[in-house]
Amino acid sequence: MIVLSDIHKQYGRVRANDGISLTLEPGRIYALVGENGAGKSTLMRVLAGHTRPTSGSIEVNGERLSHLTPALARRHGVGMLYQDPLDFPAMPVWENFQLGAPRRTKRQVVDILGELSFRLDACFLPDEPVSSLTVGERQLLELLRLLDLGATTLILDEPTTGITPEQKQDLFNLLMTLAREENHTVVLVTHKLSEALEMADAIFVMRQGRLVCTLTPPYDEHELVSRMFGEAARGEVAPMPEVDETAAPRLDMRDVLFAGPKYSMGPLNFTARPGECIGLAGLDGSGQELFLRGLCGLDRMPGGKLVLNGREYGSNDFKILRRAGVQFVPADRLQLALFPALNLMEHITLAFPDRKEDRQKFYDEQCVERFNLRAHPDTHASELSGGNQQRLLLSLIPDDAALLLMEHPTRGLDAGSSRQVWNHLKERCANGATLIYFSPDLEEVLEHSHRVAVFYDRGLAAVVDRERATMETVGALMAGKPAAEVFGNRAKAAAEGGAR
Amino acid sequence: MNRESLLRQIGWFAAAVGLALFLTVLVTLPSGAPPLTTIFVLFQGGLGSLSKFGQALSVWVPLTLCSVGLLIPFTARLWNIGVEGQVIMGAIFCTAALRPFDGGGAGQIILALAAAALGGALWALLSGLLRVFGRVHEIFSGLGLNFVALGVILWLIFGPWKRPGIASMSGTEPLDVSLWLAKVGSLSVTWAGLGLALAAIVLAAVLLHRTGWGLKLRAVGENPKAATLFALGPRRRLLQAFLLCGAMAGLAGATQVLAVYHRLLPSISSSYGYTGLLVGMMASYRLGLAPFICLFFAVLNVGSIQLPLQLGLDSSLSGVIQGVMVLSVFIVQGVRLWLAKRGEAA
Repeated sequence: MIVLSDIHKQYGRVRANDGISLTLEPGRIYALVGENGAGKSTLMRVLAGHTRPTSGSIEVNGERLSHLTPALARRHGVGMLYQDPLDFPAMPVWENFQLGAPRRTKRQVVDILGELSFRLDACFLPDEPVSSLTVGERQLLELLRLLDLGATTLILDEPTTGITPEQKQDLFNLLMTLAREENHTVVLVTHKLSEALEMADAIFVMRQGRLVCTLTPPYDEHELVSRMFGEAARGEVAPMPEVDETAAPRLDMRDVLFAGPKYSMGPLNFTARPGECIGLAGLDGSGQELFLRGLCGLDRMPGGKLVLNGREYGSNDFKILRRAGVQFVPADRLQLALFPALNLMEHITLAFPDRKEDRQKFYDEQCVERFNLRAHPDTHASELSGGNQQRLLLSLIPDDAALLLMEHPTRGLDAGSSRQVWNHLKERCANGATLIYFSPDLEEVLEHSHRVAVFYDRGLAAVVDRERATMETVGALMAGKPAAEVFGNRAKAAAEGGAR
Repeated sequence: MNRESLLRQIGWFAAAVGLALFLTVLVTLPSGAPPLTTIFVLFQGGLGSLSKFGQALSVWVPLTLCSVGLLIPFTARLWNIGVEGQVIMGAIFCTAALRPFDGGGAGQIILALAAAALGGALWALLSGLLRVFGRVHEIFSGLGLNFVALGVILWLIFGPWKRPGIASMSGTEPLDVSLWLAKVGSLSVTWAGLGLALAAIVLAAVLLHRTGWGLKLRAVGENPKAATLFALGPRRRLLQAFLLCGAMAGLAGATQVLAVYHRLLPSISSSYGYTGLLVGMMASYRLGLAPFICLFFAVLNVGSIQLPLQLGLDSSLSGVIQGVMVLSVFIVQGVRLWLAKRGEAA
């Protein structure tokens, strides 16, 4: 049993955790929910010994401590599984599994790995490099490693990001087994309510650094939402903009080949109309990244033709396409899209050199009024919150941009900011822009797309209309099922259903 | 900057100087020199009289040209370590431009200065091209090109440009007096040199802090990937930064030829390029500080000539002090960061 009492953690003026007390009992599955920035990760890092709390105490197995270190946490059986698996891709499976464990020969390691895999219904080839595994398999390996180290309390930070719905189900079944049959404590950190509702014996809701409440079944989804988001939960979500079916295509790709630093893909044939929102779905590295980067000219296009607004381009020069109205917004805003040590005004000067004279006016109109960017113009980009960074980037995109290419538009944003971003993007589409984006969150893709383009194994596997794009169909396509099989079966099932 | 933080800055700087003096004393003790006398002699030698101050200023001119030039590529986060070779190339081009003339005036001198700037800029451009198109880090290419420049100057002095009959380390045939830069009164510093150094400071200040070019250069250094997304032409801008720095370094080489030695020597650069890098690091690449630190280093350089004369010590001690100064500044900065971090964690 683990008891956290009155945990405070302050980063400068930010109170990441503000007096949190909770109890974790063995054999139960807990969900810790909250928006991004609510303090979930900080709390779990305190529990795993990676962060030292400012004040408060932790009681583990009857021992009262002011803080944990990673070694102490391990001794007390606390293991944490991070969102991005902390493994060494170049090393083989068995060496990754052995990390942190007492000295053993390879043979012993392989035996133990095999035994654990058998018990938990997994399968690993010990000599395979971890780089060839999927994210789901890497997670599983990490989980086995933690169990082997004697972890009895497992913390999983957003474990379902980047894995297929099927892999998710396997993972949840495994967690269920561990809790029910082996008396492990499982803490699931997530911002997806459906997962919490499905799995948890109790749900901790965090908001702005505080533990707002602990819910127990039966759950009231409405209550959960309002507890989690507070006022922000209320607010209009803009409807999908209408698409003019007769309009000339905005983008027409003819046998296009793209070549990135790691892989190449093609030939691709794809068209998009003005006003259309097209979501790209696919597991990490399935080709959707290269698709966007190739389209804007950041990666090479060795063959094929792009037709943009009726004009034909034989090559994808970044500057030429940019002048033609193609705008690319990467997901990693601070690393790729902003200048960390430059302030907001300087960003505006760089993006709109011709508005240098009235940039204050531009800032007031564009950033403050339209995007609700509440920050002093002298603030450095690195000091902005994720939401404000995205607002700044969106306000730097000219209004007449014809083709918006975005990587995960709502990455790191809270519910209110996400909705604002989507409403803005839909407004741009309603005014005739075309949006092509991808998001690792499949629900988001399904909600905000006229069509979903599914990528698998570095290629465009299928393009699915809004009506047919469901969790099951897109999930199956992402996992590599041929489109004919996915829709063929459904068509058959529908036909049979009709016949009955 | 508010008053308190200014005071604090000065306090930290004083701590760095104190540490440097302490370390210098540690270094001098084994050589049997009286530490305080040594330091006194150093400063006396650089500031003791007007003529000595003039000598210090004549060192200050090329040193300032180099360190101010270095600030420009550094704004784009480029370490133009090849500045040493660019000084040498400036001196070579300067000498080459004057070889056809036996005497002359302002016209020839301007031609020589232009040639020197061109030489330095071209040599810097090599580093730049290797960096931008060949993905060779400018520190490696710069270091390599420094050795190449040294090889070229030695070859010229002992080969095609040797004095009739004698080839020696003492350099080429001296320039005609009409090609020397005019001195300030009886001091060894020249009007033209001072003018060039001041012009370089003003030019760098305006370019980096008052123009869109400077902002874009900063942006490119800050995040080259984002600079591509903003279509700022990062490659072109990096090359321009190299060119400007190279031109200033070339002018530094020209002042060495035209104002100090009046001929081409193997050691024409006096290692001012490397010293300029030290100045830049010590100033944390702030333009406002660089000229003053250059002056300080120049005084040390000139003062060190007195060490062998008065105390029988080696004049390289001033180099030791300069290095120790820079290290002390880094140590003090490190301690400061560590304290700040600890203060935050507690």
